[in-house]
This record gives sequence, structure tokens and C-alpha cells, in this order.
Amino acid sequence: MELNDGNLQTLTEYLQKTLIPDPAVRRPAEKFLESVEGNQNYPILLLTVLEKSQDEVIRVCAAVTFKNYIKRNWRIVEDEPNKISDPDRTAIKANIVNLMLTSPEQIQKQLSDAISIIGREDFPQKWPDLLTEMVTRFQSGDFHIINGVLRTAHSLFKRYRHEFKSNELWSEIKLVLDTFAQPLTELFKATIDLCQTHATDVNALKVLFSSLTLISKLFYSLNFQDLPEFFEDNMETWMTNFHNLLTLDNKLLQTDDEEEAGLLELLKSQICDNAALYAQKYDEEFQPYLPRFVTAIWNLLVTTGQEVKYDLLVSNAIQFLASVCERPHYKHLFEDQNVLTSICEKVIVPNMEFRSADEEAFEDNAEEYIIRDLEGSDIDTRRRAACDLVRGLCKFFEGPVTGIFSGYVNSMLTEYAKNPGVNWKHKDAAIYLVTSLASKAQTQKHGITQANELVNLCEFFVNHILVDLKSPNVNEFPVLKADAIKYVMTFRSQLPKEQLLEAVPLLVAHLQTESIVQHTYAAHSLERLFTMRGANNATLITPAEMAPFTEQLLNNLFKALAIPGSSENEYIMKAIMRSFSLLQDAIVPYIPTLIGQLTHKLLLVSKNPSKPHFNHYLFESLCLSIRITCKANRDTVGSFEEALFPVFTEILQNDVQEFVPYVFQVMSLLLEIHTSSIPSSYMALFPHLLQPALWERTGNIPPLVRLLQAYLEKGATTIASTAADKIPGLLGVFQKLIASKANDHQGFYLLNSIVEQMPPDSITQYRKQIFILLFQRLQSSKTTKFVKSFLVFINLYCVKYGAIALQEIFDGIQPKMFGMVVEKIIIPEVQKVSGQVEKKICAVGITKILTECPAMMDTEYTKLWTPLLQALIGLFELPEDDSIPDDEHFIDIEDTPGYQTAFSQLAFAGKKEHDPIGDAVNNPKILLAQSLHKLSTACPGRVSITHNVITKNDLRT
Amino acid sequence: MPTENLCDKRMSKFKNKGKEPTKMRDRRIAECVELRKAHKVESIMKRRNISSVGDEEPLSPCENTDNKQVISETIQEIVANVNGDCPEKQRQGCQAARKLLSRERNPPLKEIIEAGLLTRFVEFLGRNDDPTLQFEAAWSLTNVASGTSWHTQQVVEHGAVPAFIALLASPMLNISEQAVWALGNIAGDGPSYRDGLIDCGVIPALLARLTPDAPVGYLRNLTWTLSNLCRNKNPFPRFSAVQQMLPSIIQLLHHSDKSILSDACWAISYLTDGPNERIDVVIKTGILPRLVELLGFEELTVVTPALRSIGNIVSGSDLQTQAAIDAGVLSALPQLMRHPKSSVQKEAAWAVSNIAAGPCQQIQQLITCGLLAPLVDLLRNGDFKTQREAVWAVTNYTSGGTVDQVVHLVKCGALEAILNLLQAKDTKTVLVILDAINNVFLAAEKLGEVDKLCLLVEEVGGLDRIEFLQNHENNAIYRAAQALIEKYFSEDGDDQCLTTEATDSNFVFGASDLQKRFDF
Repeated sequence: MELNDGNLQTLTEYLQKTLIPDPAVRRPAEKFLESVEGNQNYPILLLTVLEKSQDEVIRVCAAVTFKNYIKRNWRIVEDEPNKISDPDRTAIKANIVNLMLTSPEQIQKQLSDAISIIGREDFPQKWPDLLTEMVTRFQSGDFHIINGVLRTAHSLFKRYRHEFKSNELWSEIKLVLDTFAQPLTELFKATIDLCQTHATDVNALKVLFSSLTLISKLFYSLNFQDLPEFFEDNMETWMTNFHNLLTLDNKLLQTDDEEEAGLLELLKSQICDNAALYAQKYDEEFQPYLPRFVTAIWNLLVTTGQEVKYDLLVSNAIQFLASVCERPHYKHLFEDQNVLTSICEKVIVPNMEFRSADEEAFEDNAEEYIIRDLEGSDIDTRRRAACDLVRGLCKFFEGPVTGIFSGYVNSMLTEYAKNPGVNWKHKDAAIYLVTSLASKAQTQKHGITQANELVNLCEFFVNHILVDLKSPNVNEFPVLKADAIKYVMTFRSQLPKEQLLEAVPLLVAHLQTESIVQHTYAAHSLERLFTMRGANNATLITPAEMAPFTEQLLNNLFKALAIPGSSENEYIMKAIMRSFSLLQDAIVPYIPTLIGQLTHKLLLVSKNPSKPHFNHYLFESLCLSIRITCKANRDTVGSFEEALFPVFTEILQNDVQEFVPYVFQVMSLLLEIHTSSIPSSYMALFPHLLQPALWERTGNIPPLVRLLQAYLEKGATTIASTAADKIPGLLGVFQKLIASKANDHQGFYLLNSIVEQMPPDSITQYRKQIFILLFQRLQSSKTTKFVKSFLVFINLYCVKYGAIALQEIFDGIQPKMFGMVVEKIIIPEVQKVSGQVEKKICAVGITKILTECPAMMDTEYTKLWTPLLQALIGLFELPEDDSIPDDEHFIDIEDTPGYQTAFSQLAFAGKKEHDPIGDAVNNPKILLAQSLHKLSTACPGRVSITHNVITKNDLRT
Repeated sequence: MPTENLCDKRMSKFKNKGKEPTKMRDRRIAECVELRKAHKVESIMKRRNISSVGDEEPLSPCENTDNKQVISETIQEIVANVNGDCPEKQRQGCQAARKLLSRERNPPLKEIIEAGLLTRFVEFLGRNDDPTLQFEAAWSLTNVASGTSWHTQQVVEHGAVPAFIALLASPMLNISEQAVWALGNIAGDGPSYRDGLIDCGVIPALLARLTPDAPVGYLRNLTWTLSNLCRNKNPFPRFSAVQQMLPSIIQLLHHSDKSILSDACWAISYLTDGPNERIDVVIKTGILPRLVELLGFEELTVVTPALRSIGNIVSGSDLQTQAAIDAGVLSALPQLMRHPKSSVQKEAAWAVSNIAAGPCQQIQQLITCGLLAPLVDLLRNGDFKTQREAVWAVTNYTSGGTVDQVVHLVKCGALEAILNLLQAKDTKTVLVILDAINNVFLAAEKLGEVDKLCLLVEEVGGLDRIEFLQNHENNAIYRAAQALIEKYFSEDGDDQCLTTEATDSNFVFGASDLQKRFDF
């Protein structure tokens, strides 16, 4: 590709085409450019167009194309061809800095990015003169150029802020410091002088201040890894100037924009970061300067307004104070009562105030407000920073700070009392202050777990919170009501039960309020209160205590779902689920009405599922309705099926992916409740459940396996008699599942059910194939999980079909196979089997192999008899503590992993553990003892070998 | 998890005895690039003699000026005097040069060299007939050798080494002392001149002067020079030389003078700053109890090198560490961890981090001797460099300690303290903390207490910080944070291996490849 006018013309034309919106024109042009980019001179042509073209748009387009080209091609990957020729590389590096610096800003930014990409690969070794070339430009006096250099330097150096220390990295930094630090310092000083010279020229100031901000950013990068000797020697210059800049104000630079931070704010924010870096890492050297910075930053806070544009600056500044005040040797800077008072009064309190921006969010963007306020995504808000400062100050000054704030809280409450209509924000701030002061430790699950003992939370509740909750006009002062509700929720673990019980009906009433935040908080508070545990791990609030409010609670919760903006409110739906779970039998009378409402809701949301949490709790609530009602009366299952199946059919037919796994779980729950044989409505669905497409979605696998197990449990004979042609398909599912390391255990669940439930004749023809598949998997990828499941299965098979059948089928596949499995798999691995039922199956199965299998007594397998017995005893001796007590089986939803993954497991659709052996063997140890006894009677002399391996003690039961 | 990312210098320098990399001990790395100023408390490599001699008159104005003109004239005069034949003038010239070279600020080392004076000065060293001239020449050369490597090189290349070694035996104590000093400067320049001196037999010549009646001032210089002969790596001084010097250094470690003790300790610290064989040589002298005793001294100049030596020793093998523990180091450390100087706290924390990298028996001794409380204090209130070492201690402890030991550490408040430090502006420290958190979770898993630990981490604000780190620019950090969140604070994904044939309505059941023999 030669560098001539023709080629330049062609390139320009194609670049032009890449800007045309019509893909029919654009795509081929892009493709063409990519196809020629491997040619030598291509980048040079691009740069030439960039430099020479008369068309501004083409120039920018060339710059962007160039940057993307560099991004894709510059790195030399080992074993791959060099995608840019060496002469091109050299030419680019020789020209790009100059080109960048002389280009207009839009192009400058692209080229600056390109330089830093090249720099990342080539700097410093393969681009030794880059820095000197850049530094020379500092003298140009042209701040357009200087800012270009600074910006490029920033993108080159900013990685020093997050990369690990290494000799290579530090050598580079050292080199940068040697060439760059001194000129940067000179530039810093000169720029500050120029700011004075041009103090009245707003345009000049803007350029100069953006230089200062970039310089401050470079300072941060260069000082991040360690304190360089140069900067230690020049600390006076830098820190004095930083300090001056912090205290500087210039009317000309103030912006009218309320949202976007201006140049002054950006610069000061960066200086706060720089000071925080030094205070944290180079404390010893920075100590002489620190008090000055504390004062300056604190003054800055006192004089900075409430506008959103100052948020970053203010939260950075407060965080600086917060980090300094908890260090022991700076304690003295804060301990003076006047200082503390002033910080509390002028820094903390104003930043806790409810601002108009908060008010807007409260009214118009409830969802975001709730996420920020309730779920703590407020990491860089002023309120959060102010809270951190309170916590920091409390490390050394808990008493005085609490004292100061108590005074404040009282005076704010007095202000409020004078004229609530006007001064309600004072009370809001007072509540916020009390909360932040009292909270020492907090979790989502329990609320505040550790509180400041100097704050009387109960008294405050009685005097100031309860009043608002009791106020007859629930829609008045919604922010204060929301605060009061949140207070109950936050301090639920601190407040005595009587007070919580007093709050419950009030919270129920607030479910009816217009404000979304308010009724959401009410639902959330109730939900949290209902999860609290009292003595004996029972719920703190009992169904009996709820009896007077049950109807109101259920009514209001469902009505709240009808309030505009809350139709898919996950907090309300979760509160419904939690109420069902708490109230149990007490909800039965209401279910006929409620199930209709839930079903209707389900129908609506299934059109367009958008709130996963809401949907999840909806299904949980359905499960609870079914479970609780059918526990009292199994026959009601039919009415649930009648209500739900039409919606379920629709969901399955429309393949609503989010809901399908839920539907399978609810169907399993329903089917399991049936006592007689499987209803025909279920059988009609059976063939569809075997469709491969369903199984391709991993989220479907666990609930589908569970459902097929329910089919087998209730309808194995029906399947064998009316759907025998589906058995290969069913086994095909098993085969598919055991092929996957992730799903093989699911395959075994299915296989176990098949072996346990299906009439033996119906699967005889497939038995050998099943084992061959298992052996193939064992051979190709043996994992612990697979081996554990495999052991359970073969022992279950042995229990069901007998030890002889097991031995014969193994040896029929390959001679001596049975011995190999006993020796290589059962004996060494059986100790790994976990779970009470699983161990029982293995114990009974192995006992049968030991005592009911002639091949173990009479062939070369005999040598395995004693080791197998020892393995079995080892299994007995293993500590077995995987049992789950019955009442804990349906664990709290928070503890249930899974509701965010593709498989959304419903806690309340849970299945009890199934023991296929059941009462036939209660104690496998006794069975072993009896079986051995029987064996020794039947074949005298044979079992004597066991005398030294088995003692009474081993078989203690 | 973090472990795989921690393979930087520090990790590879941890002692490794059949353990995972995380459990290995730290070694200082001499060849490491430094950005900082040389450490203020380190002993100096070269020194200039700027003391004035007894009844000497104050420096004349022309000797104390920075005026190039004046200096150049003075030097011309010196050259004239020194190159002449008159002994009186020679002495005068030499003394004038010495005075110029002894100025507090900007001594004209280069100018003196460029004036070609070194040849004569070296020649004067051999003038046994004129002790004053010898002394002035020795002093001048000492000060020239105290400059940069280039300056030292000039002195050596003018053949000063054999002359100085010969002067060690001078009956005049002040001349011998000056020779000791000059040789110290040359030895301090680096391994190659150090070994050159050793080859020239400097050690026996020095040790010959180590007599009970030697004055303290003389012994101070001698000790310092010996310490420089022990100093520097790449290569280390050879074993035979070390063996020659060690008995005398040990002897000096029992002296009562603080300055002698300090330099003798520095010598030990250099000798222990190396592979385990080097440490062994020192331990075999039985000096450990004395070193531990010196840890209890008031003077920072003694405590610093003594602590450095102990720190080096506990970075050795488990046996070497045990030797230090048996000598009582664990009773001395708590006090040093609470020392008013943060540099001492840091070194003490470093030593603890290396002991914590040992087997669980040694970790148990940390507990028994009450080191956990001061360690947690340092995590909370130490300066950043100290906190960083203390964090390493926690990570090493949690990766090698038993479950009970880890629980104990958490109960002492270490977990909360390191969670707070997740805000540190130091990438490596953050990663090391994440590693420690992971270790604590592994212990909790063994106890079935993961849920409880999750709550604890959340309560003290750790969850917020770990979540925040998922946005970190450093890949290793965000991956480690993400791994923790995924493993302990949320739920998990999926994988796939073999496939099965399928039609639209069914999977096809049946095994292929029946001929294959199974063998597990």
C-alpha cells in the first residue's frame, strides 16, 4: 500500500462510508478497511488523512479508526505474526506525539488513548524518548499542548495506582520520576503563578485549572506505590500549594449547574484524595502538614453548599476526616470540645439533612430511593460519609459526641414541635442522627446487632417514633412516617417485645398508605419482625399474638398490591409469604379467596416476567397455601389443581422460561400429596417432560428430575402398563444427566427412583445397558461426587435385586468385573458416602454382598471379604452428623442458595428425605450382626476369619 | 483464589519447606528497586572524617567558601606544595587539602582528584619517616574515598589499598585508626572492593589491632570497618572470611559501648541476611541469647540492628526460627511491637509475620507468649508500613494455623481489623487480606460455622468493602473479591462434559463402544 494520493483518496472515501447509517453501505466499508489493515503503510495513510484532510468529520473518523486499529493490532502476541510492520511502528512512534499535541481536542483525546495503548506495550524500553519528548512540551507555554501531554501522561501512569509492586514496575516508575518529577513540579508552580496572573480571565483560568487537576492526578499516580525520594524532598512545595488551592475560591470558576461538578470541585476533590493517600501511607513524613489539611478540609466542608455538584467533593472530604480521626496520634486534633462541637454542628448535621433531591426521589423514584436507603447502595453519598465520620469519632469520643448530638437532637425536635408542617425535616435529621449514632454493627438479617449504650433507643421510640406511627392521618408527613417505620425495623433486635407488638397493628395500618416508600417500608418491617426468633428458636411473634390482626394484615397486604406503582412490589409479596409461613393454620379460612388473587397475579406477571424476586415470593406463597391447606385436608389438592392448571398450561405452552422451573416444583408438590394412583391429567403431560429441549436449560433440570421422581413414586405401574414405550426416553434422560459432571447426581436420583419404583420386568431388558453406561462414565471421568452416587446406586440395586443379581450382572459385562468394583471402588471409597439414608443403603447393600453372595465365599473374590467387612465397619464408625431435624427442613429463605440462579429452588416446595429401605431395616448394625450369625451357622468355620477384625464393640449399637 | 496471584518476590522469598507458597517465609530482597530515600536508621556505608583535630584553629574563610574561584586558587597552591620537595610545604599542602575535604558542605572531592593529587597522597602513606604527613594524607584519602563509587574507585586505583593495610600496623594509633577508617569506606563501596580487601589480607591485619587495651574510639572505627566487610550481597563475603571475623564480632557484641554494639549488631544483621547456611553460621556461635538481650536495650541504634538480625534469623528454616524462639525472642517482641518508634514496630511485625509462617507449634507459641494482642493493636493503630507487615502475619498465621488457632485469632479481633484495612491504598495489602479472609472461611467451613462468619464479616462492614472491591481495577483483586462473594455470600453455577444423542421428543438411550475394557 503506497503512500500516494490515490490511496489517500480511496481511504477517505471508505472512511466516509463508515459514517453512513445504512448498514448496507457501512458494513462493506468497515469490512474493507479491516481487510486492508494488515498492509504496510496503512496506519501511516490513516495518520496522513487525519492530518491533512480538510473535512473535520473525516479527521475525527480517521482518529477513531486509528485508535481502534492500534488497540487491535499493536500488542505482539507470542507465536502469532507481528501485525504491524516494524517501519510502521517506528514511524508511528516518531510522529504521534507531535500530531496529538497539534490536533484539536476531539482528535487529541483519541490519539492520547492510542499513545497510552502503545505505551503500555513499548514504554519505556521500546520507546525511550517518549517522556523526554513530552517533557520538552511543558516549556511550550501553550496550555492546549500541555494539557495534551498531561492527559497522555495520566493515561500512561494511572496503572501505578492498582498494579502490584514488582521490580519491573518500580524501575519504570523510577525512570518516570527521574525525567518527569522535576519538570512536573516546575509546571505545577508555574501554573499556579499563572492562575494569579490571569485571576480575572475566566477562559484562561478554566484551562489552567484543568491543568492543575491533571497535575494533581499525576501526583496521585506517581506517589501511590511508595513515597518517592523526589516528592519527599519537595513535599513543602507540593503540600503548601495543595493547601492553598484547597482554601482558594474564585467566583469566576463557580458554575451555575447544580448537578455537574465544576473545575474547582474536581481539583479540590483530587487534592483531598492526595492528602488522604499521604495521611494513610506516609504518615510519618506527612505529619507536619496534616493539621493544616484537617483545618482546611473542615473549613471547606463548612463553606460548601448542599448542591448535588458538591457531593463527591464533600463525601471525599468527610472520608478524609473520618480516616484521620480514628488514628491514635491525631486524636488530639479533635479532642477539644469546641472542635468536636463544631464538626458535629457544621459538618455532620448539615450533611445528614434531607435535601430536595432526596425529597424528589422519595416521591417520584421510590424504587431507587428504597434501594439506596434500605439496601445500602449509598457508598458515596453525603449521608453515608457523615455516618462514617460519626462512627470514626465515636472510636475515641463516644461520650462527648453522643452528648453533643443529644443536645442537637433535642433542639431539632423542639424546632419540629414548634411547627411540624414547616419543620418536619428537622425531625427527619434527628431520627437519622440517632440511628447513625446508635448503630455500631448491622446485618440484613438481624438489623442493628450492636448499639451505642449511651443512646436510649426505647425512650426515643416511645417519645418520638410511636407518636408518628399512631398519628391518625397515615398519609401526612410520609417521610417522617417512613423514618418511624424504618426505625422499628432497624432497631428490632434492641426494642423489647411489647413495643414490637404495639407497633405491629400500626405497621399493618401503614400498608394502606399512598406513598410507595411508606407502605413498602411497612411491608418490609413486618416481614423482618416475623422472621425474628425467640426462645427455643420459635418465632418471636406467635400466630396467637397475631390472631386479632390476621384478617387486617392479609387484607391490607393484598390491597397494597393494588396501589399504583406497587403491583409487583417484591417487599409486599415477601411479606405475604412470610405472613403465611408465620400464621400457618390461621390462614386456611382465607385461602379460597386468596388463591384466586394469587393465581390472577400469576397470570398477569407471566405475560412479562420482570421482577424475579416478586415472582419468586409469589410462587413461594402458592406453595405455602397448598402445603398448609392440604396438611389439614389432603382432598383440597384437587381444588388447587383446578385453580392452577389453566395458568400452568399457559405458562408451559408459551414456554415462559423464568416460570417453568417453578411450575414443575409446584406440580411435584401437588402430585406428592395424592394418595391414590396418578391422575390422568398428569399422565397426559408425561411424554412432554422427556423432550430434550426442556432438559437443555440447566434451570429446568433439578425441578424436572424431582417431578419425574414424583411420577415414578405415584405412577410407576401406570407407566409400565400404559406408557412402556416411554421407558427408553426416560432412561435417555438418565443417560444425558450422568454424562455431565454437574448433573450426574440428578441422573442418579432419577435412576434410583426407576430401580426402586418400576416393576422389575419393565426394565429387565435395559439393566445391562445402564451399568455399561455407568462404567463408561467411571472410566472416562471419575469424580468423587460420581463415585458417591454410584456406590449408593449399586447398593440400592443390591438391596432391591439381591447380591447375586448384582454380582452376575457385573461379571456378565466383563469377567472379574464384580471383584474389581469391590476392590477398586467400594472398599476404598465407601467411607466418603455422606447422608444418613445414603449410608444406610450402603450398609445394607454391603451386608448382603458379605453374607448373601456365594461368589464372595468360594472364588478368588474371597480375599476381598475381610477388607470389605472392614470398610463397612469404617462406614459405621464415621461420625454421621448430616441429619437434618424434621422441623428445620424448610429453612429460612435467606439461607437457601439458588433463588437467583437459573434454578430457582422454592424453599416451601421442599421435599422430605426419602428412605427407600425404610422400616425394613431400622438398624443396619443389627442387620449385619444377624446376617453374620446366620452365615456362620449356615457355613460353619467360614466366618471364623473375622474373629480378629470384628468384636462386639465394633458392633455396638 | 488469591494464592495463585501472590507469586511476587515476597512470596517466592518466604521460607518453603514442603509447604504451599503462602506458608513460606519472607526474605528481604537487596536487589529490589527502591523509590524511597535510603532508610534513616540504617547504618552508613561510608563516612567522612570531619572532626577537627584537638587544638586546631577554626577554618579560615577561604577554606569555608563555596566560591569556585577561591577553591581553585587554594587547590593550585596545594598542588604546588604537595608536588614540591620541601617536607614542610608537603605537610602544609596536605593539611590544606585535608581541611578542604573536611568541610561540612560541598567538599571539593572531584577537584582534588582532578588536580592529580591522589598519586602523591598515596605515596605519602608510605612515609614512615614523617607521621604527620602520613596522617594528613590518610585523612585526605579517607574523605575522598567517602564519596561516590567513582571517588572511591580513584583512591583504590591509585594503589591505596596495600598502603593502608600496611599502615594498620603503624605504631601511631591515630594513623592506624585513619587507615581503619579509610579501609572501611573502601569496603563499604560494594562487594567487589570488599572482596579485594579481603584478598589483600585486611582481616588478620585488622584483628591484630583488636586488643583489650585499644581505646573505645579506635574500637568503634574498627567495628564499623568489620561490619562493612560483612556487608553486601551478590556475592556474599566468602565463608572463610566470615569465619575469621565472627569470633571477634561476637566478642564486640559483649562490649559496653553503644556505638560498638550497634555496628557489631549491624554486622550480624548483614551476615544473617542471606540463605539458611549463612544464618546457620551465626546461630552456631551461640549468640542468640545475647541478641535477644540487646532487643531490650533503650538505644534505638542498638535495638534496630539487633531486631533486624532476629528478623533475618526467623526468616530462615523452622529449626532456625525455633532456635530464636528458644532464646526467648517471643518475650522480647511484645515490647518492641509497642515501641514508640514506628520503624521498630514495623520490624517487629515483620519478625512476627515470619514466625507465623512456621508450623502450628510455633504459631501456638505466638499465642502462649501473648503476641496476638499487640499484633491486633498494630493492625488497628500502627502506621501503614507496620499494618502491612501485620497483615502478612495474619495471612501466614491463617494459612498455617490449626482451626482452633485461627478461631482464637479471630476472637482477638484480627478479622475485624484486617477487614478495616481493605480500604488501604495498597494493592498487594488488599490482596493479602483477601487471602487471609479466605483462610478464615476455610477454617469456618471445617467447623460448619460459615453462616456465623458471614454475619460477623457483614456486621463489621466487611461485606460492603469486599463487594466494593469487585469493582477494583486490579484483576487479581476483583477476582479474589468476587470469588469470596460467590463462594460465601451467594450461590453457584454449572459445567458440562459428555453428550447424549437426542431426537425431538426423546433422548436416545443406549451405550456405544461396547468393546472397551473397563479398568478402574
